[in-house]
Amino acid sequence: MTSVHPNSTTTTRFARRFLISLSRMRRPITLGPPSDEEVCRRTRRIKLAAYSSMARAVGSRRAWSRALLLKVRNRVRFQGILRNRFLASKKKRVIKRNKASGEMNKTDMLRKLVPGGETMDICGLLEETAHYMASLATQVKVMQSIVDQYSK
Amino acid sequence: MEMGDKDKFDLEKRSENHINYHLPGSVPSDWRFSGANIANSSLGLVSTDNQMPVCRGDLVGASCSSASMVDSFSPGVWDHPTNTQNLGFCDINVQHNASTINPIGIRKGGPASLRSGIDKTLDIVWNPPSSQLKGGIFLPTTPGALPQSLSQFPADSAFIERAARFSCFNGGNFSDVVNPLGIPEPMDLYSRGGGMMQVPHEVFAGSGLKSIPGGQGQKNVMNMGDSSKDASLSVEHVATEGSPLKNERRSGSFVRSHDEAKQGGSGNESEETEFSGGGRQEEQSMLEGNGGELSAKSPGSKKRKRNGQDADPYQAKGNQQSIEAAKDNPEVQQKGDENPASTPNKTAGKQGKQGSQASDPPKEEYIHVRARRGQATNSHSLAERVRREKISERMKFLQDLVPGCSKVIGKAVMLDEIINYVQSLQRQVEFLSMKLATVNPRLDFNIEGLHTKDILHSRAVPSSNLAFSPEVPMAYPPFNVSQPGLIQGSFPGMESHSEMLRRAINSQLTPLTGGFKEPTQLPNAWDYELNNVVQMGYATSAPQDSQDINGSLPPGHMKAEL
Repeated sequence: MTSVHPNSTTTTRFARRFLISLSRMRRPITLGPPSDEEVCRRTRRIKLAAYSSMARAVGSRRAWSRALLLKVRNRVRFQGILRNRFLASKKKRVIKRNKASGEMNKTDMLRKLVPGGETMDICGLLEETAHYMASLATQVKVMQSIVDQYSK
Repeated sequence: MEMGDKDKFDLEKRSENHINYHLPGSVPSDWRFSGANIANSSLGLVSTDNQMPVCRGDLVGASCSSASMVDSFSPGVWDHPTNTQNLGFCDINVQHNASTINPIGIRKGGPASLRSGIDKTLDIVWNPPSSQLKGGIFLPTTPGALPQSLSQFPADSAFIERAARFSCFNGGNFSDVVNPLGIPEPMDLYSRGGGMMQVPHEVFAGSGLKSIPGGQGQKNVMNMGDSSKDASLSVEHVATEGSPLKNERRSGSFVRSHDEAKQGGSGNESEETEFSGGGRQEEQSMLEGNGGELSAKSPGSKKRKRNGQDADPYQAKGNQQSIEAAKDNPEVQQKGDENPASTPNKTAGKQGKQGSQASDPPKEEYIHVRARRGQATNSHSLAERVRREKISERMKFLQDLVPGCSKVIGKAVMLDEIINYVQSLQRQVEFLSMKLATVNPRLDFNIEGLHTKDILHSRAVPSSNLAFSPEVPMAYPPFNVSQPGLIQGSFPGMESHSEMLRRAINSQLTPLTGGFKEPTQLPNAWDYELNNVVQMGYATSAPQDSQDINGSLPPGHMKAEL
């Protein structure tokens, strides 16, 4: 098995991409504290940026990064449609999830967590999970340090 | 025109195929009849017909005269190596047909496989059957030819199905004939692809039961390969060697076959028959090669003439050979040690052919995994065991990754832990992005400046030790330009000093912060990088470091802290 630890270049690439995407997020300069809604929206955007830059840093070598990239790309492409659909089907989905959560076993939960995990077999899922976890840890570290930097 | 012929040919074959396959009872009679016809028709054809239309007419007229058909349509595709094999196959057919005495199974097998192959427009597909008919030795050649048409293999599903059907209803003989398909050797060769042309040679040489036949086989392969590359080389090769070799081989094989026929079936005989078959193929490939020298039509006629000339000996041989082939089949089986259960193997082999890659891994598994004492040995439980081992291996790997999970035993608990950890990481990311979102507006106006500052700072601090810090601000004043600075390669003096940089960073950081030891103790390389990118926090103040340490601690702790 190849090493799961994202190497230094991956980390650097992620940090760079993330910083770039952060810097690209133009926002209206408001003097007062931002409203909750805006914070929420920004949070989503930053999260997306973080995930996509991580996936891009990892590249298409991994199934999870491929799935994530595809998701991001599709999201960008069908943003409007998806949002409408999402709003429309929000209630239904909540109901479904409540129903399903009882009988969902551990593996399925893991599948849900790892991007692209729905289509993997258990071995592949575990492998991808390992890599995904390491990448997430890296991501958290980098983001943490950026946050520290900003909040000082 | 030639294509048209082919198509018709295919159509006919297909129809015959179905008929034959679905009505096994009728097959033998059909073939017998065909054999009777073909002995004559092919003779007449080969000897007299120099033009395509005539051949075609024969094609259409005599549905069973596979030999003539092959002859007629192979000229259309002269350039391909497959044709050489087609020709070879024609011979086989001729033999078959000529010998009405043959056991039905064999006859069935030959033509059936032929047809199945024909349907695909893959001439190559024939080769395995033909080679098998001839015997084990020839197997290597087929792979040699196959790689050239590997792209066509996926289309062979129909062939596989048909072959499977064959194997189902044809008895021992045919299954034997088909069996070699499933033998791993050719499979491997297929999978290895185009570069395999050499290997068959070696195999030939290695198997080299008799020096002469071995040589012939090699030449054969050579011819095939050359002809694939189209004429020029092969023409020279073959043309020079062609006529004498042909004669020699013909005579030699002929004699051999005679002798063997008299003697009765033994291993040697089978080999020799194979060889004679090879010789024939060679001859025909040579013929092709000669044809290649000349222009399109005339070579065809020439070839046919030659074929016609050859036809008599061939048929004569054919009888004996087919007889021997009948004997060969069991021998082939014996040779193919890997054919314990014929039908499953066959199907597996064919599937493997379809996706050669797909076939290989299970094989390897079966090779590698050995049941210990008291363990089940059937393939399913072996596969299951492999799977379980894989899973547990990965679980172990994950166990190392998830903090605080090293003492957990049991897969369910492990999975729980993993899920929790991933979830917590994702939550952390969300939380951090939220924090960034709330934090950013304040720093909005100077975020770019901050970035540059950060990066330059992170680079400048170590670089000051390296005495090129003064260059940094000048070289990378704007943000966008400075971004590449993160990649070490873009810094002119950096690459060689990356190690020094890291050392410098560490040496700088450790004195600055008392609590910093924990992160540095982590062996991961990316920690260094992270420090590189983000080390401004460390460089500036100690409290930052404490925060970062918290970040590296389990998420619950960090959350509580934040």
